[in-house]
Amino acid sequence: MEAEAAKFLGAALAIALGVVGPGVGIGILGAGAMGAIGRNPEAAPAITTNMILAIAFAEALGIYSLIVAVILLFVV
Amino acid sequence: MKKKITWLVIVVLVALLVTGFINGAIGSAIFGQERYLEKPAIHLPPQPIFPQSVRDYHLGYGTEEHSTEKPEKESHASDEHSASGDKHDNLESHSTEKPTDEHHATPLGLMDFAITNTLVSAWFASLVMILLFGLGARKKQLIPGRLQSIVEMMFEMLLGFASSVLGPELARKVFPVIATMFFFVLFNAWLALLPFYQFLGFINESGSIEAHFIRPAGTDLNMPLALALVSFVLVEYWGIKSHGLGYFKKFFAFGKIIRLKPSGIIDVFVGLLELISELVRIVSFTFRLFGNMTAGEILVVMVTFLVPFIATQFVFGLEILVGLIQSIIFAGLTLVFISVATSHEEH
Repeated sequence: MEAEAAKFLGAALAIALGVVGPGVGIGILGAGAMGAIGRNPEAAPAITTNMILAIAFAEALGIYSLIVAVILLFVV
Repeated sequence: MKKKITWLVIVVLVALLVTGFINGAIGSAIFGQERYLEKPAIHLPPQPIFPQSVRDYHLGYGTEEHSTEKPEKESHASDEHSASGDKHDNLESHSTEKPTDEHHATPLGLMDFAITNTLVSAWFASLVMILLFGLGARKKQLIPGRLQSIVEMMFEMLLGFASSVLGPELARKVFPVIATMFFFVLFNAWLALLPFYQFLGFINESGSIEAHFIRPAGTDLNMPLALALVSFVLVEYWGIKSHGLGYFKKFFAFGKIIRLKPSGIIDVFVGLLELISELVRIVSFTFRLFGNMTAGEILVVMVTFLVPFIATQFVFGLEILVGLIQSIIFAGLTLVFISVATSHEEH
């Protein structure tokens, strides 16, 4: 395999595998928040705020892999 | 009449969207005509702009080797392999081929002092912050004016958030630093959405922007790192202040193992883990902010490349949200870590 091809493959794998975890995490968070809002609709604003904060944490992990992919594509 | 204008605006927007889609990279790949925009080049490291000699050196003006290289790049632009090779060269050249350029880029060396475009943006954000809050707090009136009430509202919301985490007493002491960090991150993220960030720059010979005059500070790894170090020092400072030197017992828990209790091994191990997680925080703080800001910029560039004109606006909407959330997270996590460091719980 050429070095160039390995670079593209590495970048694709980095982002593809890297977003699986955050995707699952955001799904779990959303499901939990929806269940909580269903049980206690008055607490919806507070739950939504906390959910968005927690989602941002999960999302940051996906962004790490995006950074790795970008570095592979454009810098290395 | 009003309805007609609304419909007209919608039709124009949809037409622009369709035109953008057809002429962008996706459409031109499907329909096989020429691309509207050329493929964007992404520069991860910030570019020096101020002393003209350094900037010209960085952009490849005036040096013989580069001026001979440039036309070659143009002629090979159609050939994909050499074009990507050249791009690689463009980004990489300063660190590998010409080692002198690397220390041109560091503002620390006094002789090679250079101002990068991200630094300009950090100054601009600071200036806007100082102007806004300075003007807002200049005339302190009991019945606030428009500007003063906006500033007061923002601060009250942030102070309420801080008090809910730390309790009102400690929150007031920590608040100035936390608020500065919050608004610095927020202004850097939001001001970066202003249009002149995108089109002010130094062009190269082919007419595309080689170095932006001003570029969001979050896309420079140094700014998040500096903020993360400030946050780290702040947490340790409040930890030591509230516990004295006993604060370090959390990390170096040799108390039990000196008294030859076998369960002390677990304590030592837990302390080691605490120490590692304390240090890893700096890295995760840094890359969370850097990653989010950089990903936003790349997203804007890529969507503009794929579907020009209108589609970028949705990304801008997303970026407003991301900027707010990241600044809340940066300030909020620092608050949480301070509250963990200052908590007096006995095991």
